[in-house]
Order: sequence, then C-alpha cells, then structure tokens
Amino acid sequence: MREPSAVAESSPVAVTQVQEQTRPWSETLRPYLYVAPALLFFALFFFYPIVYMIYLSFQDWTLLNLEEMEWVGLDNFSTLFSDPDFHLVLKNTLIYTFLTVFLGIAIAFFLALWLNRKAKIYGLVQGAIFSPHIISLVSVSMLWMWLMDPQYGLLNAMLESVGLPPSTWLADPGTALYSLVLVSVWKVVGYNTLIFIAGLQSIPQDIYESAALDRSPAWRTLYKITIPMLSPTIFFLLVINTISSFQVFDTIYIMTQGGPVNSTNMLVYYIYEQGMDFYNGGIASAASVVLLGLAGVLTLFHFLFLAKRVHYR
Amino acid sequence: MAQVSLHHVGKSFEGQKVVKGLDLVIPNGSFTVLVGPSGCGKSTTLRMIAGLENVTEGEIWIGEKKVNDVPPGKRDLAMVFQNYALYPTMSVFENIAFGLQNRGVPKQERKRLVAEIAEVVGLTPYLDRKPSQLSGGQRQRVALARAMVKKPQVFLMDEPLSNLDAKLRSQMRIELTSLHKQLGSTFIYVTHDQVEAMTMGDQIVVMNEGVIQQVASPISLYHDPENLFVAQFIGSPPMNIIHAQGTEAEHIGFRPEKVKLRSMAKEITSTAALKLEGRVITREILGSEVLYYLDTNRGRIIAKSSADEFIEEGILVELSVEEKDLYRFDKESGARVRHESIRLATGEQLGGIVS
Amino acid sequence: MYRVWYYPRKAVEWVLLIGVALVFVFPFLWMLLTAFKTLPEIYQFPPTLLPEQWEFGNFAKAWETGPFLTYVLNSFLVAVGILLLQFFTAVPAAYAFARYKFRGRNWLFGLTLIALMIPPQIVFLPVYVEMSHFQLVDTLWALILPYGASAFGIFLLRQSFMQVPDEVIEAARLDDASEWKIMWRIMVPMAKPVLVTFGLFSFIYHWNDYFWPLIMTNSDSVRTLPIGIWMLKASEGGKHWNMIMAGNVMLVFPILIVFFIAQRHIIRAFIYQSK
Repeated sequence: MREPSAVAESSPVAVTQVQEQTRPWSETLRPYLYVAPALLFFALFFFYPIVYMIYLSFQDWTLLNLEEMEWVGLDNFSTLFSDPDFHLVLKNTLIYTFLTVFLGIAIAFFLALWLNRKAKIYGLVQGAIFSPHIISLVSVSMLWMWLMDPQYGLLNAMLESVGLPPSTWLADPGTALYSLVLVSVWKVVGYNTLIFIAGLQSIPQDIYESAALDRSPAWRTLYKITIPMLSPTIFFLLVINTISSFQVFDTIYIMTQGGPVNSTNMLVYYIYEQGMDFYNGGIASAASVVLLGLAGVLTLFHFLFLAKRVHYR
Repeated sequence: MAQVSLHHVGKSFEGQKVVKGLDLVIPNGSFTVLVGPSGCGKSTTLRMIAGLENVTEGEIWIGEKKVNDVPPGKRDLAMVFQNYALYPTMSVFENIAFGLQNRGVPKQERKRLVAEIAEVVGLTPYLDRKPSQLSGGQRQRVALARAMVKKPQVFLMDEPLSNLDAKLRSQMRIELTSLHKQLGSTFIYVTHDQVEAMTMGDQIVVMNEGVIQQVASPISLYHDPENLFVAQFIGSPPMNIIHAQGTEAEHIGFRPEKVKLRSMAKEITSTAALKLEGRVITREILGSEVLYYLDTNRGRIIAKSSADEFIEEGILVELSVEEKDLYRFDKESGARVRHESIRLATGEQLGGIVS
Repeated sequence: MYRVWYYPRKAVEWVLLIGVALVFVFPFLWMLLTAFKTLPEIYQFPPTLLPEQWEFGNFAKAWETGPFLTYVLNSFLVAVGILLLQFFTAVPAAYAFARYKFRGRNWLFGLTLIALMIPPQIVFLPVYVEMSHFQLVDTLWALILPYGASAFGIFLLRQSFMQVPDEVIEAARLDDASEWKIMWRIMVPMAKPVLVTFGLFSFIYHWNDYFWPLIMTNSDSVRTLPIGIWMLKASEGGKHWNMIMAGNVMLVFPILIVFFIAQRHIIRAFIYQSK
C-alpha cells in the first residue's frame, strides 16, 4: 500500500494552512476578559494607589483640602529624615520587628519539633497555640491591656504570687515596647509553629531513617538535616513576619497610642498620625513610600530566593 | 452515520511533527482501530478528529462537512476517554444528561433518553450515585452511556479499556463490538494493544512515527503485511526476522507457527525453502501450544508448535520454513518485496548457514 | 530501666503540654471569667479565679452602650460582601491563569503575586484620597471595594484548577458545554474544598479587621463590630473591664466556636499561604 518513510516528505503540500491564526478573536480575547475584573480591582485599589502615593509624597497637601496641592520635590523626605521623632519611630520599628520576628520564629521552631507528633493531645495543643491567630487584634489588645493592668492585672498578681516584683508593663517607656513584643509573639507563635510543622512533615522520612542508620546523634541530625531542609520555611516566615511587623498598628492604637513619650510609636502609626491627626499629607505619604520600599525589598528578596530554589531542583 | 475522511492531515507541536500528511478514509459504519506504539500519533489523530487539537495542515471531513473550524461540541461525535473523564461532582444521571442539556433537549425528553440508555448499559440502579461510588467497570459504562445518549454519527474511543482488569477487559471487548453492530455508527478506536485491535476492528490502521504504515482488515494485516514494521508489530509472539547480512538484499521474516522443528537425528526433508540449526534455550507451555526460544547463528528465533510432542531444553534441532510462509523486506526501506515467481533457490541462497 | 522511666517522663510531658496550651488559651478564659464578675470583684487584689457572684448583666449593658445590632450587621455585610466579590473575581481569573495560554499571562500573574505579598494597608492613604474623590468615605463601599479581588484566592483556586484532569474539560467540550459553563458547572464544584478553605480565611480576616474601618468610617451607621467594641472601651474610660470583656466575648467567641468546629479547614486556610 504505501512505504513508511517515503510518504512524509514527498507529498505536495496543497492544503497547508496554519489553523492557529484562524481562531476567532472572541476566543483570543476570552482569557483577558476573565482576568479583567480581578485586575481592575488590583489596578484601582493597589497599583494605582502605589503610583499615586509616590506622586503625593512630592506634594504639600492635607486631607482637609484635596484641591490644593503644591509640588515640593523632595522636601517631604528631607523634613521626614530630619525629624527626630521619625528617627525614634524607625528605631522602635526595627527593635520591635527584630524581637518579634526572632522570638516568634525561635519559639515556634522548638514548639514545632516538640509538637510534631501524631497522638491526639499534640493536635489539641497545636490548636490551642494557634487560636490567638484567628482572633481580632482589637480583642487581643484589650485583653492584654487588662492582663497587664499594673494594679489589678492578672500578670502582676501572678508575678507577686511567686515572689517576683510587679512590672510596669505598658505604663513605662522602658517596658512598653517589650510588652507589645510579648503580645505580638503570643499572637504569631501558633501560626509559625503550624507552618514549621507543615514544613517538617514535608521532609521525606527516609532521610531520617538513613541518618539513624548512620548513627547520627540527634543534635547533628537537627543541625545537618532538619534545619537545612526547613530553610525555605524559615525564609518564608522571616519575610512574612517582617512585613507584618513593619505594619504593626492595631495594638499601638488601642494599647498605647504611641506612648508613653513616643516609646511605642512605629511606622504605620506615625503615618496614621501624620495623615489623619496632624493633616501632614505630604509627610505621611513620604513615610508610606519608605514603608513600601522596605516591604518591596523584602518581597524582591523572597522572589529571588524562590527562583533560586527552583533552579536548584 | 457518516464517513470520516482525512486529507493530508498534519500536526506539529512546537516545531515537532507528530502527525505527518495523513490520508485516510474511515468508512461509514466501520469499526476502525488506530493502533501503534506509544508516541506514534494515533491519539493525536483521534483528538484532531474530535476537535480537541487544532489541525496544523490538511482537512478533516465528517460526512459532507469540513470540520476544521467546527468546535468539538458541534461535530456530532462522542468520545470515551481512557480514564473515563466523568464529572466527579455530578451524579450518574447528570453525567449522562449533561450533553443533552447543553444541546437544549427539554427536561422530560432528557429523562426519557437517560432512562433508556441506562437500561441498555445496566446502570438503572446507580443513576443517583456519584462516580466515586462506582466500580471501574461501572464508570466505564457511565462513560459509554454518556457517549451513546447523544446518538452521535461517530464514536471516538481513546484506549477505553486499558484501566480495566484483564477479565473485565475481554468482556467489554465483546460488549463494544456487539454495541457497534447494534448501533451501526462509525467507531474510531485507539489502542496500543494489537490483540485488542485484531479482535475488535474491521479496519485496522497501523501507525508509526506519525505515518500510516498500513490500512487493512485484521486477516490481511496478519497474512499480508506491507512492511517490516507491520510484520513485527502485528502478531504475538511477533514475526521472526532474519536480518540481511553482507550482500543479502532482503530481510526474511516468518511467523513462529510456521516453523517446523525436527530433532537433528531424524532425516532431513528437503522441500523447505529455509533451514536453520538451532538449540532450544527455553520453552513456554501455553496449554495446547508450546513456544520454543531457539538460538541459531542468525539470531534468536521463536517457534510455536502443538504440545503433542515436547522438545527438551538444550536439544539441538533443525528449523525449516516453507517458501510460501516466507516474507521478504527491502534491506533499506523495510518495504515488502514481492517476487513475480517463487524462487525455489532461496534455500540454497542461505544454504551456507544451514550446512 | 526504660519501663521504669517511661511513665514519669510521660507525666512530665503532659504537664508541660497542658502548661503550654494554657499560656495561649487561658487569656481567653480570663476574658470570659472577667465578663461574669461584678465591678468590685475585678478590682480585688489578688484577683479571684471564678466569679464569687455570677453577673450576667454585663453583656446586656455592653450591648446597650451603642447600636451593636448595626455593628454586627455591618460586619456581616462587609465580610460577606467582600467574600462574594472575591469569589466572582477570583474564579474567572484563576481559570484563565490555570487553563489558557495567552500573551502576557506570566506578567499579569506576576502582578497578582506582588499583590499577594504586599499587604494593602500600606496604601491606605492614597486609597482614602481616592475614596473621598468618589465620595465613598464613610460608606460600606469604602470597606468592601478595596478588597474586591483577592490575590490569595486567585492563587489558591489556580492551584486547584490546574489539578483538574484535561480529559474532564475535554469531555465537557465534546458535550457542547460553553467555556463559561465548564468553569461554573465543572471546575467550581470540583474546587469546593478549596473554596470552603478560602471562604473561612477571608471571612475571619475581614470580620476581625480593625484598621480599614477605623480609617474609612466615622459614623455609627457604617461602623463594624471591632470598632464598636473599641468604642465601648473608649467611652467607658477603660475602667469597666467586666463590661469591656463582655463586649469582646461577643466578638471573639463566635470565631473561636467556628474554629473548634472547623479547626482543620481553618488551619489549612491560614497555613496554605506558605506553600
């Protein structure tokens, strides 16, 4: 009938046509129509505001009168960076972020190693330490204000009952910032722990079995296997926790109002005060741009890291 | 009912040609099987007929209509997939009725049609179940019912039996062929299993590397292969091939059951066109027949003979094949070579080896 | 040797486990207990554990200090409104990202990932300005619209849609189903577990949200429950802790109860972000 190899090349290509191009334009348009609504929302309430915010940071303006804006170039940024309050705000934000992220991740790591078991009790404890994460910060803040009440609070009562001196908690510039750190670590530890447990469970079990056969002591297995295998998880938590710590607002607004004497004033609260209370729109947007820059750099790091990880696989 | 024809159909994926210039007519009412090793382009061809893949070149006609630009749902065909592709969130009833609903068949009519088909394939007690609550064979029936209920001109089936166990598979083969007789519509069936192809098809299309190798009925495909590929692909165990060596111009092939074995001690009958000496390496007893694996100086040969008479392993035997049972293939192209006259001299041609 | 030590060690571990659990759960119990105490009792030192006299009136008193029914309704409207919008924007977008090849797809998906990483609170100031241009400040729209599309939802659904076997979609095409119908009748029902997960995440997040309503609202008729609870504290001068805690119980315990019913789903919803 026919020879196998000869047919392919020899026949005249009479009816050749590229069908891809005859696809109706409505089909070509379809995916764009599908993504359009979501992207429209992003454009209106995320990307456009970012651009607009950068524009606003070069203007002298106030929320009281949006019609009047004056181009002032980099004046807002120079005012901002020469404001000693802003220096303090940056310092507070960095201390708060460092402590929250470090403690939140370190405690969670050890909790995860401990609680990553099958028995029911461990699941219950996991649920218990996670529960603060789903509670509104409003309630968390008020609850801890009450617990930290210097005179009638439960915490001081407990300190005294074991013979320790009571703390001033939120009332003193020396302890207020650390009290806020305590609250946010309490809230975030459960989330971090469960992320770590998810990470631990994705490590193939046979690696541990072969390490055990190689008589690797527990600490070496932890150091040489568990921690390196968890590095993507650790990195993810670093980025997520840092970005959210930069944004701390609710606890400050409710518990301390930035005080005492600005000791708990941090970036977003500063932006809020400048924009909504003091009507310094320009300064507020310049500070927002600084915050955006910090979050943007972290996000970029995260994506680069992910890209590298993909590369390694 | 309709004839499906492909005119010079080709398909490329990212510059790679997977189907090359197919010309094929699938007659109205036939059970046509596309068969070939994996990656031969058979599934792609089926999917082009279905409209699930765009055609890069050429034309596809169903009945009197060119369907290149017709979307799958409007081609008046139905397809049964290898993994059934049932809608997991719909009940059996909804699965079967979905296509009717999309065509705007009124509700009462839908109920009647689904009930009718369910009766035919024996699914009536399961209409309210979800696919996850059914066995493999029942899912297969749902997939069939979903195709049948639309009363299409053409049924397409992409390895529909390969997820079933052996027993169920042979049962479904029979059911499918009798279904084909009942409906009288055109069936196009893709499989990599040549046994399935031989037992079910009335027209078999053997494909390799995107090219049609032969189109024929099962019988003529077996007895009259067009080329080396078909000869080796069809039949189990495959045809023995003695590859051309040195100045020889042709490969020689013969079916295992055509090999006569004689113990070397016995006298040699000399009418055979091909004689070889070989040693039995292993044997497989199939029941009524035995397969012998023999080592000869022209390579491994498989012989099939009746189990009436055993030859022990390690015995040296003489193999002989009659001239009428030999197939010759061109050394370069692998195409079948048909000589005008039977050359009795062939035996002597290979005589040197036979001793 | 091992046997002898096994039980004491187990007992010590149980004590530690319960201790850790109490660190995180006891504050909520304290909230509940305080809500049932009388004003003089909460100002006793050292404090009592259980109320000496169960005072049930704190809840009613808290409820009457402001239009709490309005707050609760607003919270529901906002959380459900956002959820619906996010659902109807995420499904088509996720379907397109998962199932179509089109020019600019990776670029557009990259934009979605940026929106996933950078929280929208960062841009509250320009959004506020935008809202005041549209005259939407101090309306529920200002609370709902900025969250109309969820990058997280798109991301989650896209993953789920990508796992649907091609054959199921092809079977539907052969059944003459339109793309729109395939999306809503085949894909969405198959993604139900993911949708439940996402729905819980979104609802809890917006039920709890405090920052956005604080910025965007200043009249009672559009305030949400977290703002109402906070105002309870502000108006009471922060001294009636029993009443304040009673108010907080209304905000916290519905979520905690849902959490204990759907714990696995909720944990998965929040943990999923890391994958």
